[in-house]
Amino acid sequence: MKLRDALERPVLFIGGKGGVGKTTLAAAAALDSAERGTPTLLVSTDPAHSTGDILGLQLSAEARPVTDRMWALEIDPAQATEAYVNEVRARLADATPPRLLHEVERQIDVARVSPGAQEAAVFERFARILGEDRFPRLVFDTAPTGQTLRLLSLPEHLTAWIGGLISRRRKVSQLGRMWRNVAGAAAGSASESDDPILYALEERQDLFRRTRSTLTNPERTAFVFVVTPGHLPILETHRAMSALASHGIPVGGLLVNQILPDASGESFHQRRRARQAAHLADIESRFRDWPMGRVPLLDEVPVGVDGLARLRPLVRWTLERTT
Amino acid sequence: MPKAVKGSGGVCHELRRRLSAAREIYEGVYMVPYRSAIHREHVRHADLFLILSFSDFLGVPDPVQFYTLELLPELIDQFHSWHLRMGLDSAPEGGFRCC
Repeated sequence: MKLRDALERPVLFIGGKGGVGKTTLAAAAALDSAERGTPTLLVSTDPAHSTGDILGLQLSAEARPVTDRMWALEIDPAQATEAYVNEVRARLADATPPRLLHEVERQIDVARVSPGAQEAAVFERFARILGEDRFPRLVFDTAPTGQTLRLLSLPEHLTAWIGGLISRRRKVSQLGRMWRNVAGAAAGSASESDDPILYALEERQDLFRRTRSTLTNPERTAFVFVVTPGHLPILETHRAMSALASHGIPVGGLLVNQILPDASGESFHQRRRARQAAHLADIESRFRDWPMGRVPLLDEVPVGVDGLARLRPLVRWTLERTT
Repeated sequence: MPKAVKGSGGVCHELRRRLSAAREIYEGVYMVPYRSAIHREHVRHADLFLILSFSDFLGVPDPVQFYTLELLPELIDQFHSWHLRMGLDSAPEGGFRCC
């Protein structure tokens, strides 16, 4: 597969280590896709939310127009959790007997703050966006590697778990039917021909399945990694690629970012330094109330305990000059 | 319609009585144990499902807990009948406060 083809898949993920330029390139890819005529939605799954910063727009959980063919949204974990819980609550309000209403509400409140709730809500929102056909192209600006691997492998794990629950539930339903057949009136009049629990579980499983089948379809989906020429981004990206492959998610290729140009002569460095001076001034003024240390760019990357040991005098030097 | 069989006398009545006795013996010897075995099995599986759905209460993390919130009303009811069956008049600590 050519990188060009990967970049033109209906569902494109841009991922990589933190700080390699995922957000910039994802936004550029979405803009390019829109310019060439396809309505495109740029989705940030990174809770740090730099997408709005790079577009210079205030983004929210609802798609807002960026150009006449491009839209953008940010999945906000807290907001997604709230929305999901409220949806469930509204659905349950009718179905719950009044005497249980209080306890159901209490349990929902417990679940809302339970570990994993936000992850689940983000996944829910992600799966729904993936399932909609409102936009022919989706570009995902993903969270740093670890979180994204987790998000993309969730449907696989959850399908297995919920599959187990469903087969248990089927057994219960089946035994319930047998019991009603032999017991007649003693079993009570309740007809459980369609088990609401089974129905709810199967609906969930269906969403997980559809998500997984989209994520693993190489005709529809490609994951493109952004990497910078640096020790840690290279190693992390290498590991992440095989991890994605092991989950069956098609990797489309690499974008190597922040390569120094060949003709990096005096004027190039001067311009970079001027750019940096502006950012440093910005840091000084924004964070002036905080103690701050300054570490210079090194000509080589310190690796291993020995390499890091060489950093110690530098760290001490920094600490002595800490404002 | 007891009037209709009056003419053919006690034979028909006697036959009926015996048949009904035979059915009762069959009920007692075969159907009752069968029925209670199925009932026990049903209840056991329903309880197992309850545990799986709320493994959190036992300290086992449940990865799909958040996705099964819709099941709550149904399962709280089942939890209630479970603790009554276990001889607990009120809901045990740490579970649902169903009563």
